[in-house]
Amino acid sequence: MGHEELFAQLKQAIIDQDEDAVLSSVNTALDAGVEPKTIIDQGLLPGLNVIGEQFECEDIFLPELMQAALAFQAAMSVLEPKIKESGNEGPKKGKIVLGTVKGDLHSIGKNILKLLYETSGFDVWDLGIDVDLFKFIDKAKEVAADVIAISALLTTTLVGQRDVIEALKDQGTRDRYKIIIGGGATTQAWADTIGADGWAGTAYEAVNLTTKLVS
Amino acid sequence: MIDLVEVFERAEIGPLTSETDYYMKRYVPKLSEIIARHGIKWDKNTIINTDDDLTDRVFQAAVDLLAEAGAYCPETNRVMQFTRDEILTACAQCPTETTFGEGRERKVMRGRRPDTTDDRPWVHVGGGIYTTDEQVFMDTVEKMASFNIVDSVSVPSILHIRGTDARVRSPQEILAACKTVRLAREGIRRSGRAGLPIINGISAASQPASMFAASYPDFGLRPSDGFLIDFLSELVVGYEALQKVAFYNSLSANIGSTSTPLFGGYAGGAEGVAVTATCYMIMGALIFRGSYHYNAPLHSKLHLSSTRPLIWAIAMSNAAIGRNMGYPMVNLPYLGGGSGTKQYHYEMACYMLAVVSSGGNVFSGHPAMAVQSDSLVPDDHKFHAEMGLAAAKLTRAEAEPLAQKLYPLFGDKLKDPDKGFTFQEVYDAKTKRIVNDEYRKAMDDVRTELGAMGLEVPVS
Repeated sequence: MGHEELFAQLKQAIIDQDEDAVLSSVNTALDAGVEPKTIIDQGLLPGLNVIGEQFECEDIFLPELMQAALAFQAAMSVLEPKIKESGNEGPKKGKIVLGTVKGDLHSIGKNILKLLYETSGFDVWDLGIDVDLFKFIDKAKEVAADVIAISALLTTTLVGQRDVIEALKDQGTRDRYKIIIGGGATTQAWADTIGADGWAGTAYEAVNLTTKLVS
Repeated sequence: MIDLVEVFERAEIGPLTSETDYYMKRYVPKLSEIIARHGIKWDKNTIINTDDDLTDRVFQAAVDLLAEAGAYCPETNRVMQFTRDEILTACAQCPTETTFGEGRERKVMRGRRPDTTDDRPWVHVGGGIYTTDEQVFMDTVEKMASFNIVDSVSVPSILHIRGTDARVRSPQEILAACKTVRLAREGIRRSGRAGLPIINGISAASQPASMFAASYPDFGLRPSDGFLIDFLSELVVGYEALQKVAFYNSLSANIGSTSTPLFGGYAGGAEGVAVTATCYMIMGALIFRGSYHYNAPLHSKLHLSSTRPLIWAIAMSNAAIGRNMGYPMVNLPYLGGGSGTKQYHYEMACYMLAVVSSGGNVFSGHPAMAVQSDSLVPDDHKFHAEMGLAAAKLTRAEAEPLAQKLYPLFGDKLKDPDKGFTFQEVYDAKTKRIVNDEYRKAMDDVRTELGAMGLEVPVS
């Protein structure tokens, strides 16, 4: 089987969210001497791009997105050690600290974003829901994050986004991070009011925005 | 039906699992398997389902989902499990009518069956939309309550204390919740209908402490009003909800079990939302001991409920419960168009045709995805209640072609909906009369257009 055929097979296995087929194709490609990074770039990521487009067009939904992400992660668990062994680790697209503000228990939008970030090549630290503002800041400092992504669904919890920015300013570290906000109750006007670097209405838009901000 | 303490105990004794595993190893695969097992498929050309066999399969699928996936309690990390017999007993014993209000406003909301054309459904108006000003809040409530066709109201939220918005869980939130209730009751009294029930108690409360505080009788809420308790998406039953269940059951107050299954989220598409929405209603009767259900499925990206697959799913869940359970239901529409826009009225008409003919009661909807403050304009809600009463005279088969005519008038606008008006832009501040001609004309035009399509909406 030629490399092109292998990559097409791998891409299709991701689109089919078939973890066994993904792992089988990855192992076949490795046995054929294909570089792990090439397997990612020419097999896995094209498949994930299709999954992302299908999700955006509502041809598939969160469960399918999660299955594809799990298949991708299974493949990465095989490929990453080999990339490290080769000493050929390229830079990630960026480091993201992500969470829902204190007092807000909503998680689905944030979880979708986490998946899209991971499958788009970002390193993600998901702090979960009901997150203390200083946890955002401490984790961002600890991992030298590029972006802090803060979600809030409720009108009454929006202020949590403002407070993260205010605390960063108080600490004199606001300029170290790009801050993007999202969630049901947020708007571009709110982002402007609190001095966020960007606002996204959907998870897909958030990934595109983040990519622009870190590039 | 198993007793309430035993329900609570199920959160202490079920299998331990992480939230992620609950979704990926239980809810998601079970939902997919059950949808396939029962052959549930949305015909993309349809807005209102008329196939009773499919409707009953959706109900059976919902029973299977609860029996096989269980609910999840994040505080104990356990799956709350119920046997099929326990679930079916709850379905058989759930309330089929609930009494709200006091004095001459005391009335009965009933569970309706699809295609019932000879009853008068319950008419509920309003919404918990944020209001920036106490006077606007009072005027809004008074005006909604003054409409004779209205049986109950949802009151807006007012969150500011001394000019600053109360943040979640703060002491100011408790003050705001109490203030909301006091002002709402006063607004209703001013309408001359003091006994009229508020059934979205308590709109400004995000936590049990605020709800319990604002339930203190001096502030004006009574057990004959309705208190909303939310499930978290999907099939999550948190301790905060169970605390409210314990409290309001102890008061013998009316409980509105509330759910917002997300289209595009873990529930997936139309079929998953229909089954999950139906499952929540069963859970509302079994776990919350609900007196009525607030059904509010939502699009996870657009934050509204008026897309074609969502209207199908919402109507389907009403029909499934109406045919198999009889639990009283209202449906909370989140619409894209702003207040007073033609888009908003078209969306509402389509939604009413679908859910009321399918067995739901009448509930006017949130405009502008409920994002714009002061966007609760009472005359919109009167018009929409009139649409609901008109829709109640139709069977699903009669409503479907009308819904098909309406959908193209707004479907393409849902991603970028028309902006609308605020209360202040529509009414004169002193006389409370409509002074905005553009607003009035849009409503009159749509009423005429609906009549021309075959849906006569008389002015009440």
